[in-house]
Amino acid sequence: MEAYTISRDNLRTWLDTLARDYTLIAPVREEETVSLFKPVRGFAEINLGYTNSTVSPKGWLFPQTEEMFFFSTSDGQITLADAQTPGPAVLFGLRPCDIKGILALDPVFNGAYQDCYYQKRRQDTILVGLSCTRVERHCFCTSMGGGPTDGEGADLLLTEMDDGYGIEVLTPRGEELVNRYQQYFDADRENRVIPAREELGKKLARQFTRNVDTTGVKEFLDQHFELPYWGELARRCLGCGICTYICPTCHCFDIFDQSPDGESGVRSRCWDSCMFSHFTRMAGGHNPRPTQKERVRNRFLHKLKYHRDRYNLDGCVGCGRCVTRCPVNIDIRQIIADLQEVARHD
Amino acid sequence: MIGYAPGSEVSRVVPAFISREDEVDRLVWNPLCINNLAKYLLDYRHEPGKVAVVVKGCDSRAIIRLLQDNQISREKVIILGIPCPGLINPDLVAARLDPGAQITVAAVSEQDFSLQTGEGTFTFARDEALLKKCRDCEQHTPVIADFMLGEEIPPNDPGDPFVAVKTLEELPVEERSAYWDKQFSRCLRCYACRNVCPACTCRECVFDQAEPCWVAKANNLSENTAFHLIRAFHVAGRCVDCGECDRVCPVNIPLSLLNRKILKDIKDLFNVPTPGTSLEELPPLGAFTNSDPDEFM
Repeated sequence: MEAYTISRDNLRTWLDTLARDYTLIAPVREEETVSLFKPVRGFAEINLGYTNSTVSPKGWLFPQTEEMFFFSTSDGQITLADAQTPGPAVLFGLRPCDIKGILALDPVFNGAYQDCYYQKRRQDTILVGLSCTRVERHCFCTSMGGGPTDGEGADLLLTEMDDGYGIEVLTPRGEELVNRYQQYFDADRENRVIPAREELGKKLARQFTRNVDTTGVKEFLDQHFELPYWGELARRCLGCGICTYICPTCHCFDIFDQSPDGESGVRSRCWDSCMFSHFTRMAGGHNPRPTQKERVRNRFLHKLKYHRDRYNLDGCVGCGRCVTRCPVNIDIRQIIADLQEVARHD
Repeated sequence: MIGYAPGSEVSRVVPAFISREDEVDRLVWNPLCINNLAKYLLDYRHEPGKVAVVVKGCDSRAIIRLLQDNQISREKVIILGIPCPGLINPDLVAARLDPGAQITVAAVSEQDFSLQTGEGTFTFARDEALLKKCRDCEQHTPVIADFMLGEEIPPNDPGDPFVAVKTLEELPVEERSAYWDKQFSRCLRCYACRNVCPACTCRECVFDQAEPCWVAKANNLSENTAFHLIRAFHVAGRCVDCGECDRVCPVNIPLSLLNRKILKDIKDLFNVPTPGTSLEELPPLGAFTNSDPDEFM
């Protein structure tokens, strides 16, 4: 596929133009240590210097709260109306781990069961990746099969260079986007872009402070459902939903109706968390995951086993967000290492 | 026994639960022992035997709160108080120390924090490194303890803890509203603030109830605002100002500012210290006296 370069000035103009032609979702610095992906009106609102956004950008394709349809009743009839869906969008500045997170969501919503809401947004959204420029202390994407300059899953991949950005076209959809705004790009005649990205990738690969070896962990978990270890972890788990909400691959949701007058209203879905006690509570009161032990176990089995069982993909992309934010230092890197240790003594 | 142990990297210390004498060696005490462990007592309410817990000055107020609300009986708990000279911001430690290092000696002086590892001694200027929640600390020495592990530290005068509240109070109502709208609009409703809070002890939380649905699951400014205001009012008079809600919020909502507004109002109305300061002094909104102001009646 082709590669191009774009100057910093042209990047600014291009993004301002993109914001006019599409819904443009990009990283925004909200607070000193909080950056979020949000719709923006132009380049001025975007912060490309972030490492990992506080919450993963999955929320564009799978919003925290999403209206599914409106309903109204009259004369014993129910009338349904589709909720509005956003049109063509560009999700800009995605870090490689977050693109991998989207690839992990695809088979959930777009596999054997087609989720029309996710599917529509996914089809309408162009993914523009952005190679990392540094490695944070909780990053471990290289341990989970990714890398800080991997573009897999993106339509375009940008990489910062001395005099602007290199752009690699990775899909026909990316090519269309570049062709539409050709005036901003220069062909990479000297073939600088790919070597620059590879060089950056090698430099960053040396900066990871902790590597995780997942070898054999899934196979061990296949054989061991009950482990006292889950109880030990659960004792300190607060049962909050931070880890699941900020995660790029967690995708559980709950469906609910809101109808102030009882006759018309909206059916929506919103993120839910397997860390919450009521997540598996049945209508009759029975809860098959009655304590935090079962909930913690479920979360990590989902990351390290179930997602692989179902889709042959890891349920963790090594972004490190849960490690950074867990109030009680439940650290998936440590859990993987501990499981290796337990397996060795098995 | 609930104490602190080294975490997955040098800058983190984790709550540790030990039940055998030979596990005592796991325990540590250093300026990274941030979590308020009192909350975990609730998990042991109905377990047989006694439970010992390590508390700092701020956390000790939470113990009093739990005792006063009969959440745990005094006979059940053994309080191991540690006078705390202040805690260090873990991000600064993480930035300078090798993540795999172990802290062997930690010391705190008026001027700095000093952490010793196999690679040498690292000092951090106290002014810069002190954790936010320690800046206005009222009680370095626990207000209740069965055993005091260390020399008592006399209270110092941290100045007016309500400066930020007063600054906000002075803004026009539209600006105050806009300020909180901006904060609440990014709330994830992860409920970490609730789950870490020693004032949150309801058997079933109002926010977990589906019928009636007091606050919808929908994540929007209206519902998020309802969540935070209900929670703030719900813990009014029982918030011990331990600062944990602030610390754990993943999107940096200044929850202690919200709770401090109510702490300030309660101080103004009832002339009482921060809840949990004294076992004898009942929470102002949980006790009745004839001298209560009643201008609203």
